[in-house]
Amino acid sequence: MSKYAPRKAQLAREFLEKPTPLKGAQADREWWEMPVDFHDGNWCFPGKPETLKEIGFPNPRKWAATDEDWQLPDGWQKIIHDGLKERLKKFRSLKLYLDACVRCGACADKCHFFLGSGDPKNMPVIRAELLRSVYRNDFPMVEKILKGFSGSRKLTAEVIKEWHSYFYQCTECRRCSVFCPLGIDTAEITMVARELLNLIGVNNNWILAPVANCNRTGNHLGIEPHTFVQNIMSLVDDIEELTGITVNPTFNRKGAEILFITPSGDVFGDPGVYTMMGYLLLFHHIGLDYTISTYASEGGNFGLFTTNDMMKKLNAKMYHEAERLKVKWILGGECGHMWRVVHQYMATMNGPADFLEEPVSPITGTKFTNAAATKMVHIAEFTADLIKHGKLKLDPTRNNHLRTTFHDSCNVSRGMGMLEEPRFVLNAVCNSFNEMPENTIREKTFCCGSGSGINAEEFMEMRMRGGFPRANAVRTVKKQHQVNALVTICAIDRATLPPLMRYWNPGVAVYGLHELVGNALVMEGETPRTEDLRENPMAIADEGEDDDA
Amino acid sequence: MKSNWQQIIGERKNAILEQWLQSALALFPEKMASGTPTGEALLEGMSMVLDNFDGNQESCGEGINCIARIFAVQPFRPSVALSLFPLLGELIGEKAPASADTEVLKARINAITFEAFDRFLENREKIYQLKVEETRSQLHMLLRSTVS
Ligand code: SF4
Ligand code: SF4
Repeated sequence: MSKYAPRKAQLAREFLEKPTPLKGAQADREWWEMPVDFHDGNWCFPGKPETLKEIGFPNPRKWAATDEDWQLPDGWQKIIHDGLKERLKKFRSLKLYLDACVRCGACADKCHFFLGSGDPKNMPVIRAELLRSVYRNDFPMVEKILKGFSGSRKLTAEVIKEWHSYFYQCTECRRCSVFCPLGIDTAEITMVARELLNLIGVNNNWILAPVANCNRTGNHLGIEPHTFVQNIMSLVDDIEELTGITVNPTFNRKGAEILFITPSGDVFGDPGVYTMMGYLLLFHHIGLDYTISTYASEGGNFGLFTTNDMMKKLNAKMYHEAERLKVKWILGGECGHMWRVVHQYMATMNGPADFLEEPVSPITGTKFTNAAATKMVHIAEFTADLIKHGKLKLDPTRNNHLRTTFHDSCNVSRGMGMLEEPRFVLNAVCNSFNEMPENTIREKTFCCGSGSGINAEEFMEMRMRGGFPRANAVRTVKKQHQVNALVTICAIDRATLPPLMRYWNPGVAVYGLHELVGNALVMEGETPRTEDLRENPMAIADEGEDDDA
Repeated sequence: MKSNWQQIIGERKNAILEQWLQSALALFPEKMASGTPTGEALLEGMSMVLDNFDGNQESCGEGINCIARIFAVQPFRPSVALSLFPLLGELIGEKAPASADTEVLKARINAITFEAFDRFLENREKIYQLKVEETRSQLHMLLRSTVS
């Protein structure tokens, strides 16, 4: 061991004397003494046996978190132990995060699930300890140094239950990592813990069903190509009715310049479809040479919430399709985790995408050098560039009926550092944009509370708790500026924020950024617009309204 | 003589509010800090209740709802959450002058507690409604594609 390493006695003392993160009524307890409790509203249904069989995942069976016996496979301890060992070798970040935490507590009150529930096991430091305590006990090198430290414990079925509960009360949002002086990313610890749980068949149907569907037909809902096309064409009809303009999307067209991929929530979800209408109007407005694939019909990648291998497989599909269609580059729609995967993992996972070209906007000539490795450009960035170069004819008064605020999606803001572009676009397409309090936006944004595949109906109470800090910040701007529109650039947000708003802030509706772009775009030859894309009346006469931005 | 409870409370509002808030925050497994979103929202709701204790019933109800909505998604028993309202009665009673008419206070606290019970249930129902709506809207979007 290095002569600079701290001595054993020194280390042991440091750990033993560290204050417990628990305060107040819990100060004299250890976190592992607090029992795990499953009741209605605090657990997600497990994966169905047929779903697991379809994707070759282990231990398919019927079970529920409230069962006494979870029917874990024989030798499950060894499976977890070996699985952890393998991942410690594979992911240096995991080992670093498990070893480096000094339990300073800076992250403790930064997690929205802790802030919404007051449950100490939702403090990121303790969430990581759930895995770390087993790691300490099971791994000899660490054991040698820390044996006797009370923070190590044996892997029991109770521990598995606890992992299942708390690693699905983490939305992998990374807010805690922003505040950690060492940059420890608890989200990555959660990702590994979920992978380990999947090895023994402890899982979540709301994640695995979309994974299986995506694996089979290319999108989360398992919609087949003809229905996918049909749905987009029904949006084309709606656009024609509203604006008099016929847009012409093409599907699977070889040789198109750009492949456009968006989450299927934009094609099948309400209010996502209005965002899709916005994209279609925009592409028509600028005469973009693009095509949509019915094979890569999903931008989302629930593999991120399952296993590294599954994430890789689902991500690869987009690139296979880009290669097959011989496009130059990929334009990606408003999505959260698709971008986390592309931005953080794609280049080393499936890259380099040499068969594509470094993206250049055909309209402005801007080179997106930041996308040199992935060859994929975010639509907010693409549109911001168009606006900056004066390429769009916009009438922001057409959004005067909306008093907006902007929710930074965790994956786009913290996951890829995109903070300004959506704001730039929003300011150009509406007259009332009001920021939420500073400690709840940009890289400090609060999660919607239902990300990372826990958007299950049966989990509603927990989602309302986890989403409360976000909702509370919206309440502030609702009160101060009469905000009635929460704008976001993530399809999961468009699915999760509407119920969150209906519970905590009735009267605030959720919009995609490009829905507002679609409202504001002045199309050549359009019929006079009186209704927005939702067929709600526009307040065009409202010019001169104060700008609160 | 009828006591003016609104005035009695108004003169002691900060002390009552602080104790009431701390008791509510202590209901969470790990005591919530007052500067958290939950602390802020509870403070606002509680303040509304105290400011409109005997006055504007709508605003008082809004304050009660603000508190009930927070507790309706927590795993505590309803009786634990609702115990906050009788507790408010005790806190006010302790601080009131001996001459004040406590019967009036009791009656008002009872009414507030019953209203809190209604609001708590309404919010629980809302949760179930949201679950149903979520399932239904997914189905609606699927049908949209097959029937159009
Ligand atoms: S802030 Fe970082 S070092 Fe401090 S307790 Fe949290 S994870 Fe550990
Ligand atoms: S990643 Fe997000 S949800 Fe997970 S512990 Fe950190 S703050 Fe909480």
